[in-house]
Amino acid sequence: MVTLTYLPQKHPIRLLLHLNFLTEQQTQTSFAVALNGQFVSKATYQSTALKENDALDILFPIVGG
Amino acid sequence: MPLTSPLNIYGQTLDSRLLIGTALYASPDIMKQAILASQSQVLTLSLKRQNPAENAGNNIWQYIQDIVKQNNGFLLPNTAGCKTANEAINLAQMSREIFQTNWIKLETVGDDYNLQPDPIELLTATEALIKDGFKVLPYVTDDLVMCQRLYDLGCEVIMPWASPIGTGKGLMNPYNLETIRARLPDATLILDAGIGKPSDACLALEMGYDAVLLNSAVALADNPVLMAQAFANALKAGEQAYLAGIMAERQTAHPSTPTLDSPFWHQN
Repeated sequence: MVTLTYLPQKHPIRLLLHLNFLTEQQTQTSFAVALNGQFVSKATYQSTALKENDALDILFPIVGG
Repeated sequence: MPLTSPLNIYGQTLDSRLLIGTALYASPDIMKQAILASQSQVLTLSLKRQNPAENAGNNIWQYIQDIVKQNNGFLLPNTAGCKTANEAINLAQMSREIFQTNWIKLETVGDDYNLQPDPIELLTATEALIKDGFKVLPYVTDDLVMCQRLYDLGCEVIMPWASPIGTGKGLMNPYNLETIRARLPDATLILDAGIGKPSDACLALEMGYDAVLLNSAVALADNPVLMAQAFANALKAGEQAYLAGIMAERQTAHPSTPTLDSPFWHQN
């Protein structure tokens, strides 16, 4: 099971093998990903396998000061 | 010497000496109008977790992209909310991928009460990010030695605070800020955070600071667009005053009007 962290709630998602599912699922094109707190570049999605208890952060542009 | 040439941020020259945030505005339209009125060419923004189904971030991102196109501007992503060097480094890398810029406004929060930067984490993150090819704009307190250390690490731009973020208290410690300017004559110094009034921005440039970065002072004004114009004018006044050469302070009064040949009743 992979823990997908969008918000404070955690979402269990089954049957995800690689990060490249993100490029197919995201409607927003501008996002970046950290797996277990470490940045994962888009170029390595295909080769990044997900394993049990992984925590995935997906971040999007937002206003800032 | 500062202010004798256009603002230079890592080789990029800019017409405006104002860097402006995109947060806290009442609406995206007001944000756009205010930023355009400010004449700023550098916009700060950030990244956050969000449920993709909400799509709210995408709308504001479109707005920001439109503004940048319209004013030939540049994006300056920040690492707001990060407490450790590792968090800041990872967020910087994520920002670089999304925003396609090596610039990073590096923030490492050391205290939740006043959002004071953590100097140890800041130095650690700065060193790592510079090695990774980033152009770091560190947000730091008005501590001279910290600013010197950041400069020695390779930060061409350093951003000491005027006062804690969002307080609007203005320049808390002018002596410290003047000392940083005097001791780091070749650094690009941008006064960041705590600016409340246009006169604060003017004072910073009169001191020889190269630019100011602010958000709340415009976004939380009753009329953000008018306030943005006021800041643009104040920065111009501060720059001109610095270039004109400000008179030296004197301890005693000196009459402005010549006393020679004054009327007879003053001659006894």
